This record gives sequence, structure tokens and C-alpha cells, in this order.
Amino acid sequence: MAVPILNYVALASVMFFIGVIGVIVRRNPLVMLMSIELIFNAANLLFIAFSRLWLQNAGHIFAFLVITVAAAEAAIGLAIVVTTFRDEKHVDVDEARALHG
Amino acid sequence: MASHPLLVALWLLPLLGALLCWVFGPQLRRLSGWLVSGLVGASFVLTLLSWPAGTQSQALFSWMPGFAFGLLLDPLSLLWTLVITGVGFLIVFYAMGYMDGDRAFARFFAYMSFFVFAMLTLVLSDNFVGLLVGWGLVGLASYFLIGFWFDRPTAVAAARKAFVINVVGDVGMMFAIFLIVANVHSIGFGDAFAAAGTLGPGLLFAICVALFIAAAAKSAQIPLHTWLPDAMEGPTPVSALIHAATMVTAGVYLVARCAPLWSHSAGAQLLVGSVGGATALFGAILGCAQWDIKRILAYSTMSQIGYMIMGVGVGAYVGGVSHFLTHACFKAMLFLGAGLVIHALHDEQDVRKMGGLRKKAPLAFWAMLVGVLTISGIPPFSGFFSKDLVIYGALEHGHPWLYAVGILTAGITAYYMFRLFFVAFLGEYRGDAAATDGHHGPAWIMQAPVAILILPSAAIGGLLLYGGDASPLSRFFAPLFATAPLPAPMLSEGATSILTLAVVAVGLAVAWMRYATRTALADAPERLRRESAAMPALLTNAFYVDAAIELLFVRPSQLLGAFFGWLLDPRAIDGAVREVAHSAQWLGTLVRSFQTGLVRAYALILVLGAACFMLYFALAGGTR
Amino acid sequence: MIAFWVLAVVLLGSAVWTVSAQKPVYSVVALLLNFATLAVFYLTLSAEFLAVIQIIVYSGAILILFVFVIALLSSGVGPFSIGPDRMPKIGVPAAIVVLAALGALVYAVSSVPHAVAPATPPAGTADAFGSVADFGKALFTVQLLPFEVTALILMVAVIGVITLGGEQMQRVTPPRLQARTDRAMREAIVRAGDD
Repeated sequence: MAVPILNYVALASVMFFIGVIGVIVRRNPLVMLMSIELIFNAANLLFIAFSRLWLQNAGHIFAFLVITVAAAEAAIGLAIVVTTFRDEKHVDVDEARALHG
Repeated sequence: MASHPLLVALWLLPLLGALLCWVFGPQLRRLSGWLVSGLVGASFVLTLLSWPAGTQSQALFSWMPGFAFGLLLDPLSLLWTLVITGVGFLIVFYAMGYMDGDRAFARFFAYMSFFVFAMLTLVLSDNFVGLLVGWGLVGLASYFLIGFWFDRPTAVAAARKAFVINVVGDVGMMFAIFLIVANVHSIGFGDAFAAAGTLGPGLLFAICVALFIAAAAKSAQIPLHTWLPDAMEGPTPVSALIHAATMVTAGVYLVARCAPLWSHSAGAQLLVGSVGGATALFGAILGCAQWDIKRILAYSTMSQIGYMIMGVGVGAYVGGVSHFLTHACFKAMLFLGAGLVIHALHDEQDVRKMGGLRKKAPLAFWAMLVGVLTISGIPPFSGFFSKDLVIYGALEHGHPWLYAVGILTAGITAYYMFRLFFVAFLGEYRGDAAATDGHHGPAWIMQAPVAILILPSAAIGGLLLYGGDASPLSRFFAPLFATAPLPAPMLSEGATSILTLAVVAVGLAVAWMRYATRTALADAPERLRRESAAMPALLTNAFYVDAAIELLFVRPSQLLGAFFGWLLDPRAIDGAVREVAHSAQWLGTLVRSFQTGLVRAYALILVLGAACFMLYFALAGGTR
Repeated sequence: MIAFWVLAVVLLGSAVWTVSAQKPVYSVVALLLNFATLAVFYLTLSAEFLAVIQIIVYSGAILILFVFVIALLSSGVGPFSIGPDRMPKIGVPAAIVVLAALGALVYAVSSVPHAVAPATPPAGTADAFGSVADFGKALFTVQLLPFEVTALILMVAVIGVITLGGEQMQRVTPPRLQARTDRAMREAIVRAGDD
């Protein structure tokens, strides 16, 4: 592989950053969850890249675990979204402010 | 362990009595009187038993080198202890009858017992700090007892006044102790007196003045005397014990105890002697203007203590101390007799409403007669011997003015004391008939102590002081107060006695002519009324000393207090507390502003935290 | 190299589209593109097994889940929320901080010399790096614990979802107990009425 590892690091960082922006800026809970998936995937990319660099398959294993956990988390998150916003006219995460102090 | 158990026991027994009466007062009730009488009597017996063993000292505990506390029983403290426990026993016994029926019977005896303990601490300590502890506790006991009937505003005010003036004295004592410790590095009497010669004259004078401020406050010498007449608000046994026989003599004890210090400072001796003489005269003059039987006795106490102070001040220690002994006996008897009269007349204290008490209170009549005779200094009663010692001592030690004042005061004393006797006891009864109707004689509990005190009041002076320097009392005090023989003054002792007797006779004659002749007794009510109306305002207001103190000290303090209450307290102190509360609130509000309830805000905080972690690992440890 | 850059552009473009699309359905499609690109990336990095897993699990299961939920929440298709933006105005400074952190990370990585990735034997040989056999052997021997833990996590997720979305179970009391309870309640009411 001729691509230097730094490229992958930069690429994953930018994708991570885009995901973070998505979580903070968007108000639709579904889009927020999708941005979180982006973050997961950025991390996964780095795992795979480094595992290729060092020819260790521990990185692969960990990426696999990340995918599994992301699946579980997406399932539960979506269940929460459904139960919270089932009867709402507008799906806006800012409306869920019951913990306001 | 105690090598002198009797000494420690006689010191602590009254404390036990006080504690028991305080704690178990409601249960003990009348028994508390017997308990305290018993314990104080036991202390007296123990003192008698300790007498043959000579001077003894008992170390109690040592805090630092130079700060050791202990008890010392030498001739001076032995004499005081005998008087405190002996006369104290008789007075406490008497009080059982006098205070009978009072609501707070047990509390009274707890306080009395506490007072005896405090006074013993004062006289038995072998160091200045122990003395100061006793000093303060005695002042506290006095406050308790003067204000015993605390629902009387006059009593409360009197107690407060006494305490505040005593505190002024305490401060003087503390300064003296500071000076002593700074220079001698020890609080023990022995160390301080041994080093007395090495301290400079200015320092010595300062120490003596500071000590004397304390003595003057406690012994009601001018200008710190204003509390004593007001202290008569307390029950009569209190007046007898504290304000006649014992507490007010603490100043005399102090000066006598610190004799080595005074003997090195002629200036201090002059000061003390002069104040004592002035007080003697002052008290006597004011005694002529009083109509309350207890106030007359209070001013006479002030005057007699003035004699004692004058005596020990100029260096006539045996004279001053012997006058203490005789005064304790006859003044206690006078007060207890007055108590009998007051009791018999259902709390009437104005002598203008008395008279003709020979049939109504015969024991009081004879006891008061003996007391008046001895206080006037008429031989062969005790007062003659001890007063002469003091007056002659003043001349011996080179103070002719004080000698003259002493003689003059003796005359005035005779006048006002016989005035008291004639007005209160002779003639026809001038009071409310209803006051004595159906009254029963006082219980034997009250009569016995008065009867017992008649003999010592009459005879103790003659017995102990006959023989000048070879008298029993002089020999008793020889180890402490023996001095080189002084040059014989102009007038011999015999001449002094004759001169004094002459002046006393004049005083007696004036009193007789004004109050005791047949015509005087006949229209007594009219005469007395005219006399009260014509009394000069200067005398009635006690030379305006009270008013002066009020203006100079009390008002400014109150203004200062008000100023602080208006400015400092609400703004600075309360303000500081408020600001602490406000800052806590502000912090809370600040933190609360983070709780928006917005999911996105929380996510942002998470992200920022993660970014911090990333920064840390990138910059600090990431290269591993 | 060219492949890298082309794929990188597509990756980032689809990421931006995911985040910024107005309609969530468009976000889902963009995310699908993102995942596909990632799978190709994994292939270039000799991680064949993971590329396939990426397609099957991520694109095939999770995204479908998202689509279902969008369908459930009817407003997923239409334009949404009119409520005011209540966030404190801290967005830009926060973004700068995060960017700085990432930049620092990249810098840190760059300052350490890295070995060049060695060549791998051509894919197809058994137990080659990144193959199923290699991955499977590692998963069930060395990394057995993480595997079991993952199973546990999935079970928890299932329970959680059932609890969140399940129907309320009817609590049925047996008839005899019910009769006894009824009688006790009636007596209590009568007693209270007497006071």
C-alpha cells in the first residue's frame, strides 16, 4: 500500500469532525443518530488502517466489536426516539427539555 | 498524692457542698442548709486541726517551670481561713433561719458554699494565678448572691454594678501578674518576693499600683467603692458574710500577702495608706447621712476596711490584720443582729420607722449594743485595741496626716454608730403597728449565731492584742511581719489611746445629745423628719461619685456600643456572613445555568471533554 | 493513490450530505453511500471480511432500521421542526476547539516516523491477513472474551428494546385472592365511615 498512514489519520479526523458537527447542530434525532454512526465509522477506518500498517488483526477484531455495539446502540436509540416522538407533530430534540434545571 | 490531706479537704469540702446543692437542690430543699453548714463547719474543724502543724504547703500541679499551683497555709492564710470558715459557719447556720420559706433555698446555699470555696482558693493559693482565680470566682459568687432575688430590678442592677467594678480590679491584677511574670518568670509568691529587691523602683511601683487597683475594687476603696452600698440588695446573710467579714477584706489580704513587694516601694505605701485613710473618712461621713440600717452598716464597713488598708499600706501589718479579725466578728454580728431586727419587723429596714426594740428584739438589742461599743473603739472591747494599733502604726511609720485622719474618723464612727443604735433601738416604736402584730420570736437558728458572736466581738481584741509587740497575735505573725524596731514617734501609744478616746467621747456625746436625751426621744418622729429634710444633697448623693462615674465611663461605653451596633455589626460582620451566603447562591446559579435540559448541549459538553482528552494525549503522551 | 483520493472525496462528500440534508430520507441515502465507500476502503486495506461485514450489518441492517423508524415517524419525510434554537451561542468556539484537538492529534501522529506497510501475499491464500479464516481463528481463540461480551451486549440491547417498546402486561390476580381483597376493602370503608 503506497498511501501513507497520515492520510488515513487526516481523513478519519475530518469525518469525525463532520459527525460531531452533525450531532451538535441538527435537531432531528434521527439525523443525530446517523451522525453518531459517522463517528463510529471514522474510528473504524482508523482501526483498519493501523491494523494493515502493523499487520495485526486485533484492529479487525475491534472494528468488528465497534460495528456490533453500534448496531445495539442504534437499535436502542431508535426505540427511544420512537417512544418519545411517536405522538409528536414535530420531531425536535430540543422539545425534550424535562431535565431543565 | 496529698501530703497534707486535711488542707486539701478543708479547701474542697465547700466545693462539694456547692455541687451537691446545685445538682440536687430540688431534692434536698431544707437539707441543703444543714449540708452546707455541716461542710463549712467541718472545714473550720479541719482548719483547727491543721493549726498545730505550722506552716504547710501542698503542691497541686505544675504546668510549666515557674507555673506551679499549690496551697499554702501560713499564719496569714491560717487567720483568714479561720475567719472564713468559722464566721462563715455561723452565718450559714443563721441563714438557714433567715432564708426559711424562700423559693430558692437550695440555690442560696449552693452559692454560699461556692463563695466559701472561692474565698478559700483566694487565701490558700501559693501563687498569683491561683489567687486571681479565687479573686474572679469570689466576684462571681458575689454577683450571684447580690442578685439572688433576681426578679428585683434594683438587685440585678446592683449585682451588675458590683461585677463590673470588680472586673476593673481583675484587670489591674492581671497587669500586675503580667509584669511579675515578665520579670521574675514565675507566678509563685516565694519566687516573686525573693526577687522583689532586684526589680527597679519604677517597676515595683507599677506592680504595686496594679495590685492595689484590684484591692481597691474588691475592698470598696475610693474611687471604686460605689458598688458596696448597692450590694445591700442581697439578703442579709450575704451582706454579713461577703460584704463585711470576708470578700471585701480580700484586698487587705492581698496587700498583706505582698508585704515584701510593698516594703520596697515607699511611694506605693504612701498611696495605699492615703487611699485607705481617705476611704475611712469618706465612709464615716457618708454613714452619718443614711437612714437604711444596712446602708449605715455598709458605709461603716467601707470605713473600717479603709482603716485596715491604711494599716497594711503603711506597714503596720499586725495592726491592719488584727483589725480585720476583730471587724469580722463584730461586723458579722452587727449584720446578723440587723437581720434579726429586719426579720422581726417584717422586712422594715428604715431606722426612722424603728425604735423601742428593747422589748421586741432583746437579743438584737444587747448584741447591737456590744457591736456599737466595740466598733467605736471603747475599751475594753476589741475594737479599741485593733483600731489603736492601726492609728499608732500610721504614726510609727511616719504618716502624721494619716494618724490625724484615723483619730478624726474614730470620732465620726462613734457618732454615726451610736446614732444608729439610739434611733433604731431606743424610745418609742415609730413603725407600723401591723408590722409587729402577732410576730413570733425568731428561731433559735438565727439567735444562736448572734449570741455566739457577742463574746468574740467583745473580747477577742483584748485577749489577742494585749501586750503590744509581745501580744499573742504579734507573736503569731512574727515569722511573716517581724520588722526592725521603729524609732519611737512623738506621741506614745498611751497618749494615742487617750487622744482617740477623747475624740470618741466627743462623738458619742454629740450623738447622745441629738438622739438619746429624754427630750430627743420624746419628739423623735418630728426631729427625724426635720433631719431627713435638711440632709445636704451632697451627702445624700454620696458626693456625686456615682454620677461622675456614670458620666465619665458608663455613657461613653454605651455610646460606643451603640455605634458599633449601628455600623460595624450590621455592615461588616453581618455583611460578611451575608456575602458568603450570596456567593454560594451565585455559584449555584452559575452551575444551574449549565442544566439546560438540551440534549445537544450535553452532547457538546461531552465532545469538548473528548477534545480535551485528545489534546492531552496528542501533546503529552501520544508519542508513546 | 488516485483511488484513495477519489474515494476520500466521495467519503467526505457523502458525510457532509448526511449531516446537512433537509429530509432525513436523503440523509439515509447519503449514509448508505458513505458506508459503501468505506467498504471499498476496507478492501483496499486488505480487510475483506470487514468490508463484507460493513455492507451486511451496517448498510443492510442498521440503515434499514433507520428507514423503518423514519416511516414510523411520519414527519421524517416532510420538513421539520419550527421550534426556536435554544442552544447557547457556543457553537463556533467549540468547533474550533475540536478542530484544534484533531489537528493536534494528526500532528502528533505525523511527528512519529512510521514504517511503510509491508506487502501482503495476494488475497486468496488460506489464512491470509484479513481473510475470514484468519479473522475467525483470532475471534474464537485469542479474542474469545470480547466475543462473549459482545453477545452479552446484544442481549441487553434486545431486552432494552422490548422493555421500551413492549406492551403493558395485564396483571391478573387469582379469583380467590381478589375476593378476599374486595371484602377487606369494603370493611375498611365501613369502618372509616363509622369514625
